[in-house]
Amino acid sequence: MMANLFSIFEPSSSIFNFSLNWISTLLGLMFIPYLYWASPSRWSLCWSEIIFTLHKEFKALLTPYSLGSTLFFVGLFSMILYNNFLGLLPYVFTSSSHMAMTLALSLPLWVTLMLSGWINHTQHMFAHLVPQGTPSILMPFMVLIETISNIIRPGTLAVRLAANMIAGHLLLTLLGNTGPSMSSSIILSMLIFSQILLLTLESAVAIIQSYVFAVLSTLYTGEIN
Amino acid sequence: MFRLSKALAVSSVGIKKVVTERTILSLNVCLCATVQEVRPLVLVRPTSTSAVQRAEQRDEANFPRPVRPVEPGKVRLGFVPEEWFQFLYPKTGVTGPYVLGLGLTTFLCSKEIYVMEHEYYTGISILLMVVYAVKKFGPVIGQTLDKKIEDIEQSWRDYREGSIIQVKESMEKEKEAQLSAKGQDMLFDAKRENVALQLEAAYRERLARVHSEVKKRLDYQLEVANVKTRLQQKHMVDWIVKNVKGSITPAQEAATLKQCMADLKALAPKA
Repeated sequence: MMANLFSIFEPSSSIFNFSLNWISTLLGLMFIPYLYWASPSRWSLCWSEIIFTLHKEFKALLTPYSLGSTLFFVGLFSMILYNNFLGLLPYVFTSSSHMAMTLALSLPLWVTLMLSGWINHTQHMFAHLVPQGTPSILMPFMVLIETISNIIRPGTLAVRLAANMIAGHLLLTLLGNTGPSMSSSIILSMLIFSQILLLTLESAVAIIQSYVFAVLSTLYTGEIN
Repeated sequence: MFRLSKALAVSSVGIKKVVTERTILSLNVCLCATVQEVRPLVLVRPTSTSAVQRAEQRDEANFPRPVRPVEPGKVRLGFVPEEWFQFLYPKTGVTGPYVLGLGLTTFLCSKEIYVMEHEYYTGISILLMVVYAVKKFGPVIGQTLDKKIEDIEQSWRDYREGSIIQVKESMEKEKEAQLSAKGQDMLFDAKRENVALQLEAAYRERLARVHSEVKKRLDYQLEVANVKTRLQQKHMVDWIVKNVKGSITPAQEAATLKQCMADLKALAPKA
């Protein structure tokens, strides 16, 4: 029973005040294929193709100094992907729709990058505050603008992901809530049809948002060198 | 990834390593048998030193090696295992599990133990989407993936067969090299003979030269002796003639001339 519209997002299964819903974050581990046999199965091959494509993508964005971090970003991508995607299934808690999780991902990442960048490559970071090709008059404003954009980065990363997930789920819930009180089956089939469309969109958004998160993190990493 | 598994086949048994680019995730797999779908492959840590012993001592009866199944498990309606149907067959017959499912769902829904709220409609939509996607795209995707798997396994087989062919070719080449080495022996003999012939020829030439030189010297000496004798003889003859001529007195000369005239007159009538 829904107290308000946003109660679908509350982690409500708890034992001794300890929320169990957050375990759905680890649900993706069930779906990653284990490579016991040398010869791949269909899903193993599929998954390894996906992450190898991502690895090539990220390799192009990173400098030669930090190539090993494609592992981290591919892992980040797959975690967010599974969280987003499995959250679409009924009765699965979407942990990436909570700022707690998305901020927990983006804030440490950003703080690490800033600290390592400003301590180790101070001049480089200062140089980045003024983009190439700025007219001299605009430079002070550019510095301000770039500083602000730098500072809000963890916020944007986190909020982008959370807001997209919340929006999608909200729409689905709103559509689904009219189901029980449906009288004629024609409108019911229209409802199912629109839900199907929405789900297609949401799946795409899930994948895209995880990709965007990972790519932006990669770009921010590449920037500090 | 699976070229990778070949890439990291650094085992203590000593199988060749093929280095490829795919190294994101690490995997310790060692190919210890030919790749066929039902043969098991052994997971071996490269750091262990007694891997082969461990494999030999394995109790095969109580701990059989896992065999890789070729087909996925049989299911009915896409997700219910066939084994459950077989389990219920002796007691409830063919329709038993279906009746069980239908009855259970009806019970849950009618007693509102399972409430059909917004998640339910989402679930129906997802079910329809998934069934459609599997029916429409399933075979195509399955075939492409199967083809890729077949390519990977074929590359392993090709590598193995290629190595065999290479080794055989090198065996052939080795035999040829041995034959040509034998041929080298004959070559040496021929060369040795050649050199001996040359030495003989040189020796003979020198012998002939020595002979001719010695002959020249001897001829010279002979000529010198001949000339000396001739000169001596000439000198002697001249001396004798001179002396004889000098010893002829004029009275002897006139008496000899008279005698010759008388002989000629005595001979003239006979002619």
